[in-house]
Amino acid sequence: MSLSNGAILPATLASGTVKKVIEINKFLLGTMAGGAADCQYWETYLGIQCRLHELRNRERISVAAASKYLSNLVYSYKGMGLSMGTMICGWDKTGPALFYVDSDGTRLKGDLFSVGSGSTFAYGVLDQGYHWDLSDEDAQELGRRSIYAAGHRDAFSGNTINLYHVREAGWEFIGNYDVTKMHYDGPGDVPGAPVGGYGYDVRIKTV
Amino acid sequence: MFLTRSEYDRGVNTFSPEGRLFQVEYAIEAIKLGSTTVGIRTPEGVILGVEKRVPSPLLESSSVEKIMEIDAHLGCAMSGLTADARTMIDHARVTSQNHAFTYDEAIGVESVTQAVCDLALRFGESMDNESAMMSRPFGVALLIAGIDEKGPQLYHTDPSGTYTRYEAKAIGSGSEAAQSDLQDKYHKQMTLTEAHHLTLRVLKQVMEEKLDHHNIQLAQVTKEKGFHILTEEELQGLIDSMPAVPAPGAAAA
Amino acid sequence: MPHQERRFNPYTENGGTILAIAGEDFTVIAGDTRQSEGYNIQTRYAPKVFRLTDKAVLAVNGFAADGNMFVQKVQQRLEWYAHAHNKPMPLKAIARLIQTMLYAKRFFPYYVYNILGGIEEDGSGAVYSFDPVGSYEREACRAAGAAQSLVQPFLDNQIYFKNQLPPPGGAHPRHLPLNDVLSLVIDSFTGATERHIEVGDGLEIYIVLAPNKSSVELERLPGVKRIQGTFDIAGDASPDVTAAAAAVGVTGEKMFVMRRELKKD
Repeated sequence: MSLSNGAILPATLASGTVKKVIEINKFLLGTMAGGAADCQYWETYLGIQCRLHELRNRERISVAAASKYLSNLVYSYKGMGLSMGTMICGWDKTGPALFYVDSDGTRLKGDLFSVGSGSTFAYGVLDQGYHWDLSDEDAQELGRRSIYAAGHRDAFSGNTINLYHVREAGWEFIGNYDVTKMHYDGPGDVPGAPVGGYGYDVRIKTV
Repeated sequence: MFLTRSEYDRGVNTFSPEGRLFQVEYAIEAIKLGSTTVGIRTPEGVILGVEKRVPSPLLESSSVEKIMEIDAHLGCAMSGLTADARTMIDHARVTSQNHAFTYDEAIGVESVTQAVCDLALRFGESMDNESAMMSRPFGVALLIAGIDEKGPQLYHTDPSGTYTRYEAKAIGSGSEAAQSDLQDKYHKQMTLTEAHHLTLRVLKQVMEEKLDHHNIQLAQVTKEKGFHILTEEELQGLIDSMPAVPAPGAAAA
Repeated sequence: MPHQERRFNPYTENGGTILAIAGEDFTVIAGDTRQSEGYNIQTRYAPKVFRLTDKAVLAVNGFAADGNMFVQKVQQRLEWYAHAHNKPMPLKAIARLIQTMLYAKRFFPYYVYNILGGIEEDGSGAVYSFDPVGSYEREACRAAGAAQSLVQPFLDNQIYFKNQLPPPGGAHPRHLPLNDVLSLVIDSFTGATERHIEVGDGLEIYIVLAPNKSSVELERLPGVKRIQGTFDIAGDASPDVTAAAAAVGVTGEKMFVMRRELKKD
């Protein structure tokens, strides 16, 4: 996940079609890694708690508070076998915000995270391409290219990529991309993407 | 042990020999001291209106809150001991969110109303297994407005835990006059704007002060925009657009 | 002699396979009826597919004892809901309810894979699949159970057209007609019965049709029986509204069951 003018949130789909990005509400997204049910259930639960906060305080919850709510919640189950590695991502009064929360109780604020079995492959691309002042299009392309790398080298990542972009007005779903198609033909006609495939042409043809 | 008649006033869970629960009846009386609150249902949506008493020019009228959001499709107006309503509305909000969590759908208007009424009868009981007791009945009546698959609905609840569905309902100090006024002027095919104007007119007739955008609060629940409290500008616009009221002699008592 | 560890093992795997396919205005939910433990067949007729409401069917597979108990608890919750809210529970609400019920036993799970099928409020066919602790998603088709690894790739190829090229200048159809789907279901199970020892004996196929969808063709097929709704609480539809709707040929969801024999060896 990268973050610039907004926060970009791509995720792969290991088990075929499971949605790994959970739409907590209009301004908050959570990612899924580890136990699918644990992530899905508790992030949905987080959604209703955020809504209650909104009704009681007439103000949206901050990303920091939402992520800490989740962090404290999973910590209370520590040692019981919950398995979650998640990124909570959104926009609040302070601007774009991104937190890593896992079931060990770790909670980190940052502007660049990658989680899951293919995270190391994604980090490779992410770190070399990241810049604090990336344009929207370049940030989206970096996110896409990073997950493609994970899908390509990690046996447990792949299939398709869901890409989201979080801005001040809330998150926007950018698109779903087939990893195999990206390898041969590229992500298609999307802003920021190069012409041609990511993997095939550079290996087979003399570019 | 012999109990004189007046002693049946004491216990909240003790029936009098005539079969009455005095504390509940007194609680219903408390609502008649509250500010006038009006609700009107139309095919387009439901309107809620309240009078905000502003006894002092130093009082910040915007801090008086008598209409509250339960959920995006549910609103609530109150009359009586408004402090009690906070407990009830929080319960309604939690119930609504729990329903959304468990069933992935918006809760029905009657179902939240039922949940609030269940709570209203828990006086004399301890809540959530804690030692804190709800010592007395709630001294507040609510008008719950909302939209679900059955369309726009308006419910009235009172301290006895009874709820009733209305096309138009007035509660609070001016409720008698307001209700008969509603009975005269309400018709089933009212537009939302007509209902807004009727709400204003009914409130205007029962209010001692001159009605303006500071001393009333209006809200609506519509299919398109859900629950919405009108801003002071929207209120001002509505007041300005009010059609001329017929001769004051036409007003009920 | 090495130390033998003794451990409480509350679970058994009872074999069998279930599957569901959603069409545009219908859903088909099927399961075989064999129940086994190891190489032994406990019974040749143990239903794994259950009618929940007029428009929802649940298939359960895995540990039969947990599965049967789970179905009973879901049915109990559906009845409570109908009484509390004066309407039958919509399909997507049942799906979420199943998630919360499965997750409630996160630390001692029901050893069951659930597939829920039926008609959504908008009239579309829908399939929801679950893992044992409640992770779920809506799909067009899903197979689960002993022969999942045999059936799912077949479905991926025939329903999602995976690894198939579209005809020149054309595209793959988004939805298949009911007759094609029924053929695929029967072929899936006869195939699984041939190659998997835990699958066989009988096949039960539930078919739920959206309101307005004609059942004439379906009722001509052999072994098809209509299931009459026993659900009393019909929501807010008054008797004259229902009668008026029936007069112009608009009726509610219709449910059918189709029974077929499978090989018993």
